[in-house]
Amino acid sequence: MKGTKILLAALLALGIVGQSVAKENVIKLGAAISMTGKLAREGKYVKDGYEFWTWYVNEKLGGIKIGGKTYKLQLVFYDDESNANTAAKLVEKLITEHGIKFILGPYGSSATFATSAITEKYGAIMVEANGASDKIFTRGFKNLFAVLNVASQYLQGTIDMLANLDPSIKKVAIVYEDKLFAKSVAIGAKKHAEAKGWKVVTFAGYPGGTSDISSLLLKVKAKKPDVVLGSGHYQDGVLLVRQMKELRINVKAIGETVAPTLIDFVKNLGKDAEGVFGAAQWAASLKFSDPYIGSTQNFVKMFEQKYGYKPDYHVAESAAAVEVYQRAIEKAQSLDPQKVRDAIASLDFESFYGPIAFDELGRPAKKGMVVVQVQNGNQVVVWPEKVAQAKPIYPKPKWK
Amino acid sequence: MIIQILINGVLLGGIYGLIGLGFSLVWGVTNLINLAHGSLVILGAYATFWIFHFLHIDPFISIPLVMVALFIVGYLMQRYIFNLAIKADVFLTLIMTFGMDVLLAQLMIVMWSADWRSIATTYQGKSFIIGQYLFPYTRVLGFVAALILTILTAIFLNRTKTGQSIRAVALDMMAARLMGVNPGKTYAITFGIGTALAGAAGSLISVIQSFNPAVGGGITLRAFVVAILGGLGSVEGAFLGGIILGIIETFSAFYLGESFKNVVTFTLFVIILVTRPRGLLGKKYYG
Repeated sequence: MKGTKILLAALLALGIVGQSVAKENVIKLGAAISMTGKLAREGKYVKDGYEFWTWYVNEKLGGIKIGGKTYKLQLVFYDDESNANTAAKLVEKLITEHGIKFILGPYGSSATFATSAITEKYGAIMVEANGASDKIFTRGFKNLFAVLNVASQYLQGTIDMLANLDPSIKKVAIVYEDKLFAKSVAIGAKKHAEAKGWKVVTFAGYPGGTSDISSLLLKVKAKKPDVVLGSGHYQDGVLLVRQMKELRINVKAIGETVAPTLIDFVKNLGKDAEGVFGAAQWAASLKFSDPYIGSTQNFVKMFEQKYGYKPDYHVAESAAAVEVYQRAIEKAQSLDPQKVRDAIASLDFESFYGPIAFDELGRPAKKGMVVVQVQNGNQVVVWPEKVAQAKPIYPKPKWK
Repeated sequence: MIIQILINGVLLGGIYGLIGLGFSLVWGVTNLINLAHGSLVILGAYATFWIFHFLHIDPFISIPLVMVALFIVGYLMQRYIFNLAIKADVFLTLIMTFGMDVLLAQLMIVMWSADWRSIATTYQGKSFIIGQYLFPYTRVLGFVAALILTILTAIFLNRTKTGQSIRAVALDMMAARLMGVNPGKTYAITFGIGTALAGAAGSLISVIQSFNPAVGGGITLRAFVVAILGGLGSVEGAFLGGIILGIIETFSAFYLGESFKNVVTFTLFVIILVTRPRGLLGKKYYG
């Protein structure tokens, strides 16, 4: 009994989860995913997204047709234990031992950075959905494509929306957690704001884990900005709003990155969260059409039926990555990596996830960030206008 | 503007003082550098969080409850774990407390996940104004609570029999023993009080910032700085050390930038270690 358990554990540790589809034409997609370790929660969303779209292609669409033959998709996973180095080794194994040329991205910027170097080296392709750092795209890779917006694009939607709402905005303060991702977001926002003719009156970072930014905010207050943009993680978003209220810094708008899109943000800040803007890669309330699944709503409905929870943006972007392969292989009518690669580069269609097209570096060329605002305790999409659920509340009411 | 920064610094410093007080007391009396202090503070923050979550008791009112709970945890921890190494080499006790820190942090992750938590009170984010200066309610309440606890600790150590036996043990263990003081029990009580104070600091932290089990390390570091700045020997010293740290942090963040505040803090830390190794108000232990 104990022996069986050990054997089972060993098999699990090897992490081969994909099932073999014998005697059928299969297209293998490989991925290193964080199934254990600190990123296990996000890793599960990624895995569910990949599996959902694979299941949809195989079971609902009957596979992918190339010439007269029908192919089924098959996923081959390994667990990278939330470690970027392990992920790189596993991707190398997927390419060299399994002969897989179509790789899906792991979770997180560091792992994506490491694994994409491997795929590029072996002439394999990587379509990634969960690595947003700009650094990933500075190496001139030819075979790397991302379905999600990179960090420097994060606050562009918010800036566009505000510039559209109020042409009189002149001064913006940008504060950020001094870490790779948050800083790339801030630098991107600064460039974009300046391009709009705004003056960046404060551009200041603070070390990660800071619990008091009152001194920084006093400086911001003295500059009297119209807009405050904050870049960081959940706790940074909460801290910024709390201390802005404590110091009674009233501005026309507060824009943040991920924090306002999380439900805890509203729970913890209550009324103070009202009117704060957040940036999201995707939202379940969007209304895009899709050539395969019909619409965003239908995707959300079918996913929820199958997995029992509402898909978040991790799930959606991961499913979209598989859709990119599906679409490109159909278009190329070939499994030759070079032809599939060229087909991916030339894709231009609207999916349930948003418009899919890539620029010369492999970043999304047409998709923008969705802007969410907290209104009456709900997080509603307010930008882009085409998919907005409600009009943005602007200017932000003063603190009471 | 300078006055507002000073106000922010002092208010922040009060909480730092309370964080440092428990740490300094344990170190000064039992000679144990408790690297698990930060995790115990976070344990207090979680206790406050759950009391608020299930019983809806205001975090400031639940401080005594949290302190009692944490006192028991601390008492048992010292009595049955740290006491084994009390006469051992300092490195062994450091390893033990470091291990305890890792254990506590991981246990909290397993039990309550690594999600960020914070307590949403109705008065959070609100401030009152005196003249043209802003006083955020949560921070003022935090400062007052820290001040009251510091005064109570001082009274306890000076006026009660148990408090005096703690000071006696700190001064001269042999003589204290001859007078009928039980050092093992006294150590456990001291550690219990230190842990209770850590728990109270956790209650205050839970209202002013978000926390998760991983933030304990930074708190231990601050406790260490406070203890050194103020000196190990006294309750006032720990509180003063906290205030100094708070003021240094806010001023250096304002004039040099947030990224420089740790540089300034630790430069001063080294200067004080070199010039006044016992700290600004330091004397021999808590006697």
